[in-house]
Amino acid sequence: MSLSVINNATCTFCGCVCDDIQLHHDEMRIHKANKACVLGTAWFLNHTAEKKYPMALIDGREASLDDAIEMAATLLHEADMPLVYGMSNTTCEAQKECVALADQLGGLLDSHTSL
Amino acid sequence: MYWGGNPAECHPRHFTKYTIMQKSKFLPRGRKDRTMVLVDIRETKSANAADIFLQIKPGKDFELITILRAMIKDEYVADEQINATGLTRETLDDLIRRMKAAKFGCMFFGMGLSMTRGKHMNSAALLMLAAEMNAFTKFVAMPMRGHGNVTGADVIMRWQTGYPFGISFNRGYPRYNPGEFSTVDVLVRGDCDAAFIIGADPGGTMPQPAIDHLKRIPTIVLDPHITHTSALARVHITTAPQGIAAPGTAYRMDELPMPLKPALKSPYPSDEEVVRRINEAIARKPFWLPDGSQPQMLTRQV
Ligand code: SF4
Repeated sequence: MSLSVINNATCTFCGCVCDDIQLHHDEMRIHKANKACVLGTAWFLNHTAEKKYPMALIDGREASLDDAIEMAATLLHEADMPLVYGMSNTTCEAQKECVALADQLGGLLDSHTSL
Repeated sequence: MYWGGNPAECHPRHFTKYTIMQKSKFLPRGRKDRTMVLVDIRETKSANAADIFLQIKPGKDFELITILRAMIKDEYVADEQINATGLTRETLDDLIRRMKAAKFGCMFFGMGLSMTRGKHMNSAALLMLAAEMNAFTKFVAMPMRGHGNVTGADVIMRWQTGYPFGISFNRGYPRYNPGEFSTVDVLVRGDCDAAFIIGADPGGTMPQPAIDHLKRIPTIVLDPHITHTSALARVHITTAPQGIAAPGTAYRMDELPMPLKPALKSPYPSDEEVVRRINEAIARKPFWLPDGSQPQMLTRQV
């Protein structure tokens, strides 16, 4: 079976963010990550497009995405001082939404940098 | 100069891609034209790559930086003070001679400097040393960032709020005060009454009192995997991993934005989509002021 190739893909495992990786994939998983280092190779090869986990969990039980989003919104809205934290392993676009979330909630906003 | 970091094992391609191996117009012989110094408390794998390895006593980073700041200006430093760091006057004289003779010096500092005794005071001291070296030659300093896009988080928060982290919106406008609004402190004191965790796993990394508080309050987690934090959360939402199945932008540690090229199509939504939908769901509820009214300054501009 032939694999599709993506040239100059970006690895986001560490702060080097190497942007010269060649990925060989078959839609389901990545088989080869040329030029990536050991850490980067492990990062690319360990993620697949399989559905390994449930879409969402509420109190440990499987739930639909819509219910989980509604539940998250309710819990955050009810709180007096919600905290929005993390934002390391995510995109800038998502980070921008997180800032909007903390702003709208009147809450706290923080990242790994403060550790 | 690498200070308190182990790039050979934590940022494996840092040497080859960015710092010591590349050949360039002014350094045509690549590695041979450069000098690499490593300062650390133990001999890591990175020491093999270094020309000079300075093993200092644990917790003496701030003292050593302060001594260097004095010595580059030919100020008096006593032998005992130098010896207390675990180094000798000859070593430091040699180091300073090389630093001043360099055409362009770059210091990278890791968590071995910024997370040990002295913490951000250490980083501040090293930045001062780099600034003061500019009286003699060009010098810069930069932190070695881990975890994918932490740099992006700094940049985005700076752009949107004016501050890089440790922000509170509880007066309706952003205020910055690390120590008061930084997460570990907030959690250990038990200040927050809900937590939204994205792209991080504090349940595996934070001190126990902080984790205990996350268990007490409703916690919401967005992550491609079921993490330690998901196990103690009220709500977990699985999202597509960035750069592999979710598109977007990530910042390199020198603050250069890089587009991501996802190879796979995930069955899960992206972080961006989920957070936006949570935002929309909250916007449908009354605003958080007691009477639900929204202050004028926050209403949508037309
Ligand atoms: S390929 Fe290696 S050095 Fe480059 S970003 Fe990925 S983990 Fe870091």
